[in-house]
Amino acid sequence: MTTGVTETQPQVPAPAPQPAAAPPAVATAILLATAPGEDGEAAALLEWEETTVLGRLADQAASVGARTIHVITRPDWATEVEHALEDSETGLALLEGADPKLAPTLRVERSEDPASDLRAIGRIAAEAAGGLLIAHGEVLTQREAIAGLAADPRVSTGVLATVGRVGRPFAQRTRSARGRVVSAASPYHGVNKPTTTFLGVLKVADVDRPALGAIAERLGELVAPPLPEGWPDELQRKMGIWRAVLARAAWREEMDAERPDADLFDDNSTPELELPENPQDIALSDEDEAEIARRAKVVPNDVAAMLVTGLVREGVPVGVSHLRKLFWARPITQAGVDRAAQDIREHDEEKDLLDSSVKAADGFFTTFFVSPYSKYIARWCARRGFTPNQVTTVSVIIGFVAAAAFATGERWGLIAGAVLLQIAFTTDCVDGQLARYTRQFSKLGAWLDSVFDRTKEYAVFAGLAIGYAASHADDVWALAGAALTLQTIRHMTDFAFGAARQQVIGEAKQPPLEHSSDRVGAAARLPAPPTPQQPEEPVAEQEERKVSLPRRILGSWRKVDRAPGAIWIKRMCAFPIGERFAVMSITAALWDAKVTFVVLIAWGLFATTYTFAGRFLRSVSR
Amino acid sequence: MSAATLTVYRDDGPIAGALGRVAAKVPAAALALVAALPLVAALAIEGDGASDALAGVVVGWAIVLGSLSRARTETGRFRWGVPPLIRLTEYAGLLWIGALGDALPAAFALVCALAYRHYDLVYRLRHRGVTPPRWVDLAGLGWEGRLLLGYVLLLAGALPLAFYVLAGILGVVFVAESVIGWTHDTRRVTTVYEEEEDEGQ
Repeated sequence: MTTGVTETQPQVPAPAPQPAAAPPAVATAILLATAPGEDGEAAALLEWEETTVLGRLADQAASVGARTIHVITRPDWATEVEHALEDSETGLALLEGADPKLAPTLRVERSEDPASDLRAIGRIAAEAAGGLLIAHGEVLTQREAIAGLAADPRVSTGVLATVGRVGRPFAQRTRSARGRVVSAASPYHGVNKPTTTFLGVLKVADVDRPALGAIAERLGELVAPPLPEGWPDELQRKMGIWRAVLARAAWREEMDAERPDADLFDDNSTPELELPENPQDIALSDEDEAEIARRAKVVPNDVAAMLVTGLVREGVPVGVSHLRKLFWARPITQAGVDRAAQDIREHDEEKDLLDSSVKAADGFFTTFFVSPYSKYIARWCARRGFTPNQVTTVSVIIGFVAAAAFATGERWGLIAGAVLLQIAFTTDCVDGQLARYTRQFSKLGAWLDSVFDRTKEYAVFAGLAIGYAASHADDVWALAGAALTLQTIRHMTDFAFGAARQQVIGEAKQPPLEHSSDRVGAAARLPAPPTPQQPEEPVAEQEERKVSLPRRILGSWRKVDRAPGAIWIKRMCAFPIGERFAVMSITAALWDAKVTFVVLIAWGLFATTYTFAGRFLRSVSR
Repeated sequence: MSAATLTVYRDDGPIAGALGRVAAKVPAAALALVAALPLVAALAIEGDGASDALAGVVVGWAIVLGSLSRARTETGRFRWGVPPLIRLTEYAGLLWIGALGDALPAAFALVCALAYRHYDLVYRLRHRGVTPPRWVDLAGLGWEGRLLLGYVLLLAGALPLAFYVLAGILGVVFVAESVIGWTHDTRRVTTVYEEEEDEGQ
């Protein structure tokens, strides 16, 4: 099998290192234009505005720093792919004589089949310099989604993923824990109890490139026919799941049409659709049948998903960058692209980005009393060109002024301190949102933010204690010391618990790449049962009968989350930073430092007990 | 995160380094708990009216048992309890010594400097995958070294001045070294970042 290389531009010397700014995390992009569309054409060549879906993606890759863009495609499509790239903004810029030091190199690689796709990736991984971005050529998403993955230095090697539902069931699922992918599906690999969906964009850090190269070579051998035992069955199982999911979706649509007020009833009032045992017997509309037939031709080409499975199985830490509220689709027909175009225009990228800048799992006070307006301050800062680190510094200075005001011990000082502390806290939320909004993540920024948060909090403790001693006969240094000790211990427990969990995840045995199932041990070799009735959690159901008491308590505790507001009460119980700062401001302004410390210690002790109980149960249930 | 993360979080000094080679059969979390309990109990019951002898006995007990817990810090279901228990022992011990020496504000200042060190240990390992250089660990004396020094200073009647001086020296060393470490960072490491985290807030 041949893998020809066409260069649309002679090799240029490596770009001069940029001063000041850090080098982009992604230097090379590999776009896979290997999925067939409707009429035997490459789906990536579908039209998008003035260019193609592939051209758009190439421009996005260039805009996040890719200096070399390889497009792997089938020999029959290569000429059209070259044209498509020439028509992209990047290609046009090259034609118009853009500075070759600045414009990226575009290369088209001809490859016959998935096995040679993988070998080509292995070769590029060995030769390239810097980080790699690997994406399906049909991915239609906003630039910021790709930039979020590529520009985040905190995710070394990672995937673009979502916890939400992506319209159709064809994307590969993953299971992640503590920000790390612990199991990933590919066309030939299953994932038990998935939590997230892989959206076809993978970043590989420079340090992990050799590992990726070896994995690509290995996968190239495995996908060359004949496939390993169990792999064809897994692919069949997946297609059975698609049939079931599409049948259910059609059924639900029908039910909603018949009962437009169905939302008023409990979900359970909708009768369940009975599906035949054999997925092949599931009746689908002609449209859905045609879609499944097209997807069946696409899925064996999904080498990006195979690479993710390979990385996870080889123990390479794979992080997660969340899509959040941005748009994503992977259309393979022109109708699908047009629908996506409609949807993406309805999405206000600016607004999506701003909404996405708010941290996903924040406390009650922060979410409802600070984030709703702090994100607009973040946008204002972005337009003024302020950096997150500048905002962080301003925040800590205001925090120190608040501490100084508290230290007066006078009523006006306590009130002024309370107000200033809230301003400092809002500013502190702004820096993170500004970083997410402008994608200006840095490890230094994360460190400054964390360290200054603590500095502010403990400086306020000191200020309150000094102020109290100045205005009262007694002092509250013992209470201040107790509050500081308690808060530090609570944080240290969080850190240590997190580290212990990471150790468990890191040491967890991964099954070999040849195995379809992600289960280690005896159960691994058994093919997963084809259960279209419960496609998401086939094995979990069987385990239900023999779970331990701690697990059952944890299970029912998680079910509480479904009750409205329960999640917020739970988060408040853990006494997060927004609640702590609110307590400090309110109690100090209305009463005095003694009340502040007593409330901090009481709520803190309650939170310690609460989190300890949860962690105790999780530790004994393992 | 490396396998020795929890050991780094402990912030042990030379005494724990030596005693920690004795691999006790008891899980580290249990040892650390037994080490902290008498100190916390004495602090709660006697408060600042405790005798120096009582303080000496419970601080000594905490140092010996806490040090012994080092060996098995990285194993066991409840290993995540070890670093916070060590922190409880250290901070409560130093604040109590401060109270006995009528030097609580000085003890508070000292604990603030130590808190900087302990958060920095976590954050630099998390964001950069590195630990502080050996000389900083030695200069910091370790938690058990600081407890011992604190008790000696109490007996010597050097409080509160000595605690202020100690807080100043340690604060300058810890802050300066970590800032220099950050500005001269050239290492590239694979770190895992938890987007969904709500810890550490």
